[in-house]
Amino acid sequence: MSEQSHAVGSEAEGATSASGSWPISLTDVTVRYPNGVVALKDVSLEIEPGQMVAVVGLSGSGKSTLIRTVNGLVQPTAGTVRVGEHEMTALRGKALRHARGDIGMIFQSFNLADRTSVFRNTMVGRFSHTSTWRTVLGISSHHDRDIVMRALDSVGMLEKVWERAGALSGGQKQRVAIARALSQEPSVMLADEPVASLDPPTAHAVMHDLERINHERGLTVMVNLHLMDLARQYTTRMIGLRAGEVVFDGPAASATDADFEEIYGRPVQPRDRLDVS
Amino acid sequence: MTVHTPASAPETQGQLMIPPRPRTWPKALGVTAVLAALTILTTIPAIGGVEIDLASIARNWTNGVDRIVQMLTPDWSILPRTWQPMLETLQMAIVGAAISAGLAVPLSMWAARPTNPNGVTRRAVRFVLNVVRAVPDLVYATVLVAMVGVGTLPGVVTLVLFDIGIVVKLVSEAIDSADAHYMEAGRAAGGTQTQINRVTALPQTWPVFASQVLYSLELNVRISAILGLVGAGGIGRLIDEMRGFYRYDALGTIILEILVVVLLIEWASNVLRKRLR
Repeated sequence: MSEQSHAVGSEAEGATSASGSWPISLTDVTVRYPNGVVALKDVSLEIEPGQMVAVVGLSGSGKSTLIRTVNGLVQPTAGTVRVGEHEMTALRGKALRHARGDIGMIFQSFNLADRTSVFRNTMVGRFSHTSTWRTVLGISSHHDRDIVMRALDSVGMLEKVWERAGALSGGQKQRVAIARALSQEPSVMLADEPVASLDPPTAHAVMHDLERINHERGLTVMVNLHLMDLARQYTTRMIGLRAGEVVFDGPAASATDADFEEIYGRPVQPRDRLDVS
Repeated sequence: MTVHTPASAPETQGQLMIPPRPRTWPKALGVTAVLAALTILTTIPAIGGVEIDLASIARNWTNGVDRIVQMLTPDWSILPRTWQPMLETLQMAIVGAAISAGLAVPLSMWAARPTNPNGVTRRAVRFVLNVVRAVPDLVYATVLVAMVGVGTLPGVVTLVLFDIGIVVKLVSEAIDSADAHYMEAGRAAGGTQTQINRVTALPQTWPVFASQVLYSLELNVRISAILGLVGAGGIGRLIDEMRGFYRYDALGTIILEILVVVLLIEWASNVLRKRLR
């Protein structure tokens, strides 16, 4: 895997996604939380459309905060974030919600409503395209239903559509979460430690799904990882984060153990790899 | 386990750096002292405290004995006269619980932090509900009987106000204390708070909501026994009448009947609750 992937992505974009894939650009982004913790210090990044980027760092390095500044779940104290045509840091209210509708996101703990069906959980992805009163009355258009069913089918979860989300296994939950994000018809896909709660085979399957989304739909994918082998295997570019600062930025495949030691701030340990071999 | 940061390794060798344990006992002692002082103060008659004259129980207990004895020998001949008012009480209880349940759905969502991040409206809803809860149910009933006349209507309205107070408080507190990861997914997808609440928070809250509504139904039967005293319909009117004629044997029958109804409702709601989990 190498530069090939975003070449393929760029070609595919026009055919699959209405809005195409978008670049992400952070300029001097600083995040200071109300309790005084500085989670990001002057981070500047340019991510090309269709790239598949891993953000690697230990927990507490600021990678969760970084990915949340991209869709405005965390607003930076300073700096600007641009995603495609949207200047995320300048948006509020309705405009911010519309911009978020173009950015899909999946999470470590899947973030499904366990007591409701897979279908309704996936419909969450249509929120920004649906008026509030329609959602409240529970009226979904044929168009929306079609998108949701296709998204579930693309991750192999269509047969579970009427099942309760809480009854699924971890890997199935994450697939539903991916379908939820895909049904937004996004131009960018964010993933915050998407496989940290999964066993190794399931983790590979989910990473493969993300890779496929990147290749087939040409989506820009930004994925937080703490495991070095996953970053090397599935992504083309790696950004290393330590204590809120970018300490590494380069091709993922050729990143050496020494590079990871620099990112982690300590010697590489067995638990930094998913596959112990 | 190795030391995480090599720089701090020399210091931690040999002697552990245990952070000082925070002292909590002065606070615990203070709280206990304040509570004890308040308890003693409220019972000192000299400063207008409540008089707790234990001796009066010993002096006067014989006065009530014959009434209790009469109650313990129920007069079953009253039973046919109780059917109609008891049915009325049940109707009031069910209608009151149903109306309050409908109103409590949006109110609970507005009163809880995860489902209503807007502090101003949340506090406003909570304040109004505190006022609603602060007014005793007998006061509602008395005022409403004066406004709309004797009958079941003032009783039902009283029960609705009473039920909303408790259901909204307990449900919104349950929402406050529950994990709400799924909210973040809705927000990331660009949903409005109302959309997120409708599609994800509502099904998640359903069991606790139904449980509290069933509890309010049970309370309604007990309360409507009292409401009859001020003319708000139901079995209470018969209780008031029997009390007026010193028919304590008949009262005993009615109390037993209420007990049976309450136990039946409790049994039914336990069955329903189990099915909801």
